[in-house]
Amino acid sequence: MASNKITKRDLDEMAVRSMAEQCCFSFERMQAVGFCYGMTKCFRKIHGDNNEEMAAAMQNNLDFINTEPHMAAILQGLIVSMEEAGQDRSLIHSLKTGLFGPLAGLGDAIWWYTAMPIIASICCSLASQNSVLGPIFYILFWAITAILSRIWFVRMGYNAGVKSIQFIGDNAAALTKAAGILGVMVVGGLIPSYVSFAFPETLVISSVSVQGIFDSILPNILPLGFVFLLYWLFKKKNVNTMKLILLVIALSVALSFFGIM
Amino acid sequence: MQITLVQGLLIALVVFICALDKHMETFMWFRPLVVAFFTGLILGDVRLGLQAGAIAELSYLGLLTVGGTVPPDPLFAGLMTTVLAHTTGCDVSTALGLAVPFALIGQWIGTATNTFYAGFLPKVDRDAAAGNEKGLAQTMYFGWLLYSAAFALAAFLSVYALQNSIASFVAAFPVWLVHGFEVAGGLMPAVGLALLLVVMLKKENVAYLLAGFVIMIITNCQNILPVAIIAGCIAFIGFNRDVEMNKAAAAAPAVQEGDFEDGI
Repeated sequence: MASNKITKRDLDEMAVRSMAEQCCFSFERMQAVGFCYGMTKCFRKIHGDNNEEMAAAMQNNLDFINTEPHMAAILQGLIVSMEEAGQDRSLIHSLKTGLFGPLAGLGDAIWWYTAMPIIASICCSLASQNSVLGPIFYILFWAITAILSRIWFVRMGYNAGVKSIQFIGDNAAALTKAAGILGVMVVGGLIPSYVSFAFPETLVISSVSVQGIFDSILPNILPLGFVFLLYWLFKKKNVNTMKLILLVIALSVALSFFGIM
Repeated sequence: MQITLVQGLLIALVVFICALDKHMETFMWFRPLVVAFFTGLILGDVRLGLQAGAIAELSYLGLLTVGGTVPPDPLFAGLMTTVLAHTTGCDVSTALGLAVPFALIGQWIGTATNTFYAGFLPKVDRDAAAGNEKGLAQTMYFGWLLYSAAFALAAFLSVYALQNSIASFVAAFPVWLVHGFEVAGGLMPAVGLALLLVVMLKKENVAYLLAGFVIMIITNCQNILPVAIIAGCIAFIGFNRDVEMNKAAAAAPAVQEGDFEDGI
């Protein structure tokens, strides 16, 4: 353990806090609040009374993240180990952004598409035979896996970070660049899967489907364009996020009202 | 059979607890099998709870939260399948169908909080900028409790006070308004991604963003892993090249440094 500030106990406590990873979910940044909450106790332990560092660590972990709740523990362990070792925050940020999507895919496959159907079908067949063992076994299975997987995942992430400290330190610049590539490319892939912006089939102008025109240029060009529009508004016009969100909601309801979307 | 006030309140309590879990998706107490079991216990008909839970659980198995979408609510499906079978005396598969409007109410609560909780983020950002982890935790707990309280209230009204009026309310609710919030749910992740890009995007990285976007489209796959693997390969190649160049630069005599730079 690098600076010996984070103990096994801290990691186990973080595993428990990690259960709240999805709390305060919002469409704008999804799991950001709960994800950051899980790590704040460790951040405080690392940075002590240094509020500036504490603030920087928190702010570094408050933007868009959406991963599978079990798997978030791996990321939290990794981030805490890197934070403890004083690694460059932009490297931490890029790694987080590059990894949350793939981890979500992996986690969904393991927990929601494999474990859930198997356990549910076993327990449902028990329940339909009027056995209370159905729900009881279901509750127990998920309670045990919820706790054990997180304890294990937090340690896994933390140890991975600790083991690679020397390596990261030696190659920080090259790694930051590589992680930046990974992160940005994954965000590019997230745009068509998370942002849906399409006109209905029924919307036609002189018997040509409006969405068809856009699709013939480039599928999902509207979500891409919309993200860049917002990027431009934030970056160049410094538009307030809240105003923009209210505008998006108003626009959506209006589009829906007039049957355009 | 009628639901008594005490039963209604107990159900609201159970829903509150299950909704706490639903917000986290941790212990799966929000799944129909569990909710219906508890509801059956409260109604004094465990057998009904088991039957309703089994059928609702299997029907709502495919409806998982993928990405930021909010599917019809499994918690309300488990609850109302049991309650409606109990009050109307119909069989559980009929009750499952009758429970759909109530599952939509749960879905709307989820969509509404997902939308409105974006309004908490400025406060969260302020707390983070001040290094105030307690403030962040308070906001999180507030959002968590508010969500569960909304579920408990809706459940109480659905099972005890306004069962019939709620079903007709759902039927009469303007479709365009509900759909409008769905559209907003599809557009709002763009805000988060744009904010992410404000931090991450550099001129030399734009090409990778576009490449990732196009790969995702042409593979037509909802899983990000293929893009991430390609991105990882590209990053790895670049990393190795950088490390080798650094080594070469370190190995080369320091005198030549100037020449080296001029040469490029």
